[in-house]
Amino acid sequence: MALLSTPRSQVDLVGKGRPIREHLFRIALLSSLAVALIFLGLLLAYTLTEGWPRLDSRLWENFPSVRRPETSGVLSGIAGTLWIIGLTAVMALPTGVLAAIYLEEYADNTKWYNRLIELNIANLAAVPSIVYGILGLGIIARWLDFGFTVMTGAVTISLLVLPIVIISAREAIRAVPPSIREGSLALGATQWQTIYRQVLPASIPGIATGSILALSRAIGEAAPFLMLGAATLVRFNPDGVWSSFTVLPLQIYNLISQSREEFHILAAAAIVVLLAILLLMNSLAIWLRNRYQKRW
Amino acid sequence: MTQPNVTLRGPEVPNTPGSLDPVFTVEDLSVFYGDYEAVRNVDMMIGRREITAMIGPSGCGKSTVLRCFNRMNDLIPGAHIKGKILYHEEDLYGDHVDPIEVRRRIGMVFQKPNPFPKSIYDNVAYGPRVNGMKKNMDTVVEEALNKAALWDEVKDKLKQNALSLSGGQQQRLCIARAIAVKPEVILMDEPCSALDPIATTKIEDLMQELRQEYTILIVTHNMQQAARVSDRTAFFTADVDSAGVRHGRLVEFDQTTRIFTKPSDKRTEDYITGRFG
Repeated sequence: MALLSTPRSQVDLVGKGRPIREHLFRIALLSSLAVALIFLGLLLAYTLTEGWPRLDSRLWENFPSVRRPETSGVLSGIAGTLWIIGLTAVMALPTGVLAAIYLEEYADNTKWYNRLIELNIANLAAVPSIVYGILGLGIIARWLDFGFTVMTGAVTISLLVLPIVIISAREAIRAVPPSIREGSLALGATQWQTIYRQVLPASIPGIATGSILALSRAIGEAAPFLMLGAATLVRFNPDGVWSSFTVLPLQIYNLISQSREEFHILAAAAIVVLLAILLLMNSLAIWLRNRYQKRW
Repeated sequence: MTQPNVTLRGPEVPNTPGSLDPVFTVEDLSVFYGDYEAVRNVDMMIGRREITAMIGPSGCGKSTVLRCFNRMNDLIPGAHIKGKILYHEEDLYGDHVDPIEVRRRIGMVFQKPNPFPKSIYDNVAYGPRVNGMKKNMDTVVEEALNKAALWDEVKDKLKQNALSLSGGQQQRLCIARAIAVKPEVILMDEPCSALDPIATTKIEDLMQELRQEYTILIVTHNMQQAARVSDRTAFFTADVDSAGVRHGRLVEFDQTTRIFTKPSDKRTEDYITGRFG
């Protein structure tokens, strides 16, 4: 009981006041965060007020027109964007996931060629999208003679998002603990059974989240399409993968370069639509992540 | 601690080393990770329906040796063995041997319970399913859970996620999962190290039950556990060679009673009396 008889003066727990640096650091952190959030808010507020007069059904019921801004819309852009993203998902997701499975589950990391592949996937993810546009134009549109079609666009965008899909799928696969693989293999499961029945189901939420984020990045791309020379004034929706098309970002780009003020309002309204699609996809990703996140 | 407080299973052990009915015969086994020789020159025999314990200080290679018996080391790039492990008459590392087939017959329970993030039922049914057994799954699952002394605790919640079970229950589920494939041997890699004393007792009691039907190899850090549960004990230690590299080696392999009462090697005696390790 020596502790109880300790004189009060020997234990000094009175705060000495936190150094001013602690507070300054906190403020620096918060203001960095504020910069990002304030500008996002400003952007949203600005485009919303600017585009508000045209944010109605005319926007998504009409095709573009250069002569009559009041009945001009971006229907073909919305349809084209959905076509491109849909087809990209069909092509890039399976390829990316399979590539990620190879790198995580089969590749021997001690071999130089596997390390080279890994390094180059990281490099590919950093290649500017305009370069993919050049690739699409030179190889897919011209050399393979796919022309300026939905297919050309989707293949180009698939190549663009593929490295990102691979990287995020690898992260998700790596998050599955090795003990699960060992448990499965120790029961006499083959490697493929282990991947198909344990690793993939456990990593699908992570893969889905990463893939959706990769696709939403692709939705906003204008540069590769510009390079591909996709038309902007398209007065019809794509009716198949071999149809010509336009996409929302390209239409926005085109509307802004018009001289009449009405078209600028229309552009702002189209930006709101684009942002709405993006936010929708991102919230789906967040929902998926929270809903299916595994705790080990 | 100078004298370990051990209870011995003494007179119950019917076998003398001469009468051992071997499931495995290990002949001059060395295990390599790349160029590094992790364990060298192990000779031992694993008796049918006996519990063989492998004890020794950390880094002496006992888990490494255990993982040779179901070829789990194959999964580590660069791992290979020299010498022989005979499973009955068959060379476990023969050219024609399929590791998948080996692991069906030789099950394994790991240090940390690792149930799949699925229902209790699906955990047990997993092994039979991947091995192409489809008939009477309900019976197979019930039987395995019964043998693992878990049925009464989980029979009303078979569809519940296995991760909702307690640590001890999870480990018994992992044992049930291994049993469901109908193996001959069960390898246990420190199966109680993540469990509390009560859960540990349950697993040890369960091992005594399982011993009637299965051959069990257990790696343990806990000498009392080895003394309590096993028929034979292999004591491993690590030597440092002239180049300063550590190699695990088998010091002594004998009936558990003898290892804990009259060890023939000084190092074994030092270890079990707590003088090192």
